[in-house]
Amino acid sequence: MIRVENLTHVYNKGLAYETKAVDDVSFTVEDGAFIGIIGHTGSGKSTLIQHLNGILKPDSGKIFVDDIEITNKKTKMAEIRKKVGLVFQYPEYQLFEETVYKDIAFGPKNLGLSDDEVDFRVKEAMALVNISFDEFAERSPFELSGGQKRRVAIAGVIAMKPAVLILDEPSAGLDPKAHTDILNMISMIRKQTGNTIILVSHNMGDIAQLSDLVFVMDHGKLASAGPPSEVFADTAFLQGIGLGLPPATEMAHYLAARGCAADNIILTRDELVDFLAETFGSGGEAK
Amino acid sequence: MEIEKKNDNSIINIRDLVFEYTREEDDGVVCAVDHVSIEVPRGSFTSIIGRNGSGKSTLAKNVNALLLPSGGSIIVDGYDTADESVLWEVRRRVGMVFQNPDNQLVSAVVEDDVAFGPENLGIPPDEIRTRIKDALNAVDMYEHRKMAPHLLSGGQKQRVAIAGVIAMRPAIIIFDEPTAMLDPQGRGEVMNILEKLHADGITVVLITHFMEETIGSDRIIIMDRGEIALDGTPREVFENTAEIEALGLRLPFAVEIAARLRARGVFVPQGLLSMRELADDLVARKEGAR
Ligand SMILES: Nc1ncnc2c1ncn2[C@@H]1O[C@H](COP(=O)(O)OP(=O)(O)OP(=O)(O)O)[C@@H](O)[C@H]1O
Ligand SMILES: Nc1ncnc2c1ncn2[C@@H]1O[C@H](COP(=O)(O)OP(=O)(O)OP(=O)(O)O)[C@@H](O)[C@H]1O
Ligand SMILES: [Mg+2]
Ligand SMILES: [Mg+2]
Repeated sequence: MIRVENLTHVYNKGLAYETKAVDDVSFTVEDGAFIGIIGHTGSGKSTLIQHLNGILKPDSGKIFVDDIEITNKKTKMAEIRKKVGLVFQYPEYQLFEETVYKDIAFGPKNLGLSDDEVDFRVKEAMALVNISFDEFAERSPFELSGGQKRRVAIAGVIAMKPAVLILDEPSAGLDPKAHTDILNMISMIRKQTGNTIILVSHNMGDIAQLSDLVFVMDHGKLASAGPPSEVFADTAFLQGIGLGLPPATEMAHYLAARGCAADNIILTRDELVDFLAETFGSGGEAK
Repeated sequence: MEIEKKNDNSIINIRDLVFEYTREEDDGVVCAVDHVSIEVPRGSFTSIIGRNGSGKSTLAKNVNALLLPSGGSIIVDGYDTADESVLWEVRRRVGMVFQNPDNQLVSAVVEDDVAFGPENLGIPPDEIRTRIKDALNAVDMYEHRKMAPHLLSGGQKQRVAIAGVIAMRPAIIIFDEPTAMLDPQGRGEVMNILEKLHADGITVVLITHFMEETIGSDRIIIMDRGEIALDGTPREVFENTAEIEALGLRLPFAVEIAARLRARGVFVPQGLLSMRELADDLVARKEGAR
């Protein structure tokens, strides 16, 4: 379980351009939950989640992961890193080794795993992010396309098998197939391991489809939290803070304004297709 | 070369372009662009899509002479990118917004960053001030003009980067995934800016992984492993349902929903690209049937 209590983070405290990036935020995340975090650019999402694995220290407030208070200065970083894995928003900047293989192996190696286990995990992670071992293992991570770099960076975190996996915009810059692959991979990891997943994304459709709970950030504050069916029901609120609706929800709204309203809120493409087939199909379904 | 410029309606002329990277570790060769020929009409809006590593960014960097062809040639508004003596003429005409704004923001203050390009072009200070204001307003960042770029979040940086290019008023702007890091509203704003620039006569090339963003373009080029896999209008290109998927891509939202409805026996005509087109058609058909 993760418990965040009254977390506040101020950048450049005391300077003219001081920014309160996270402002008195509190929440709990149950084990095995899938949390989606949305919010306009600059709303504090990345700042917030970088506290969860101890990279950033708060100005005030506390964070507990299981029973460990990670905001306590005495807590060892290594212990936190084992529990909480974070894929940064621009993960390509975390790449630093001379080959793709070494880069992905770095984390698992530091966990003190045997060479065989490290090797196994690297291969497994590369397969999960769909980066061919034969083609890329010995390549330099700096000489890859943007999307390829991102996949390598994600593989490096996955290979550590953290109990809590946090991903900050993991699919930005990925091609549509890789995007789908990564989301499927996240779902699969969750199914296999029961891990807690926290996904930060500007893609409302992904968040609506995957999350149990959605946290909405606005100017550093946790402005709303609830299941997707509640959060995405409040169109005016979302649009007022720079966000929007999942495409399926938007289409349902558009149709409702033209006299074809669905009974329940529509969040996913599957739900939309069912609704459309019922409403606009003649003589029911002809599969 | 001057003659060519007058007779040619295409502002970018890519002829049989080959681009090879040399790998540092073993001097091996990566062929990123493999015999590609494209003519881009002046004032047009072209989208380039394709899977990761298909060569889109490499192609773009060749157009503004950040990279030089290993084979073939690129003529921009009559100027050969390989001709070092006209490098400035090429750069002046081709603005670039890259995948990652961090590499583009260089100054300590947002407005200096936007001024950087125009200053290099020798624009007078009064004019520069107007341009900064217009450009920052266009991306809704004017109130942040005194801030340090490195203090901005990803989305904010991207908007400043776009403002920096807009302020140079180039004839061509190549956007390399300009909305990848933006929230829904920011994405809408950038696409509006892009369409506005196109309406103002600027030649727009958009590289993107969002299929929705391409449906308003005149033409879509799909790259695959350094080659052109498909080339046509959005309607033509997105009719190739199976091929789109095989190329690592996806149909735009409305096209995908329409295809799934057809599979369920609902009649939906081909060629509906936007959510509204699809919804309007469904509603009209239902009302017509009554
Ligand atoms: N290193 C930093 N120093 C100073 N201010 C910062 C720093 N990083 C972010 N900020 C500021 O803190 C606020 C929150 O930024 P943060 O990156 O957490 O937002 P975000 O919600 O992740 O945005 P995005 O959707 O663009 O990724 C913004 O106003 C930003 O300008
Ligand atoms: N500096 C480099 N050195 C060697 N090879 C490179 C370099 N940069 C890119 N490549 C390779 O060239 C090919 C094309 O890369 P490019 O960046 O043009 O792809 P892209 O279509 O823009 O991909 P993405 O959608 O991920 O941005 C890829 O196979 C990539 O690995
Ligand atoms: Mg962020
Ligand atoms: Mg690219």
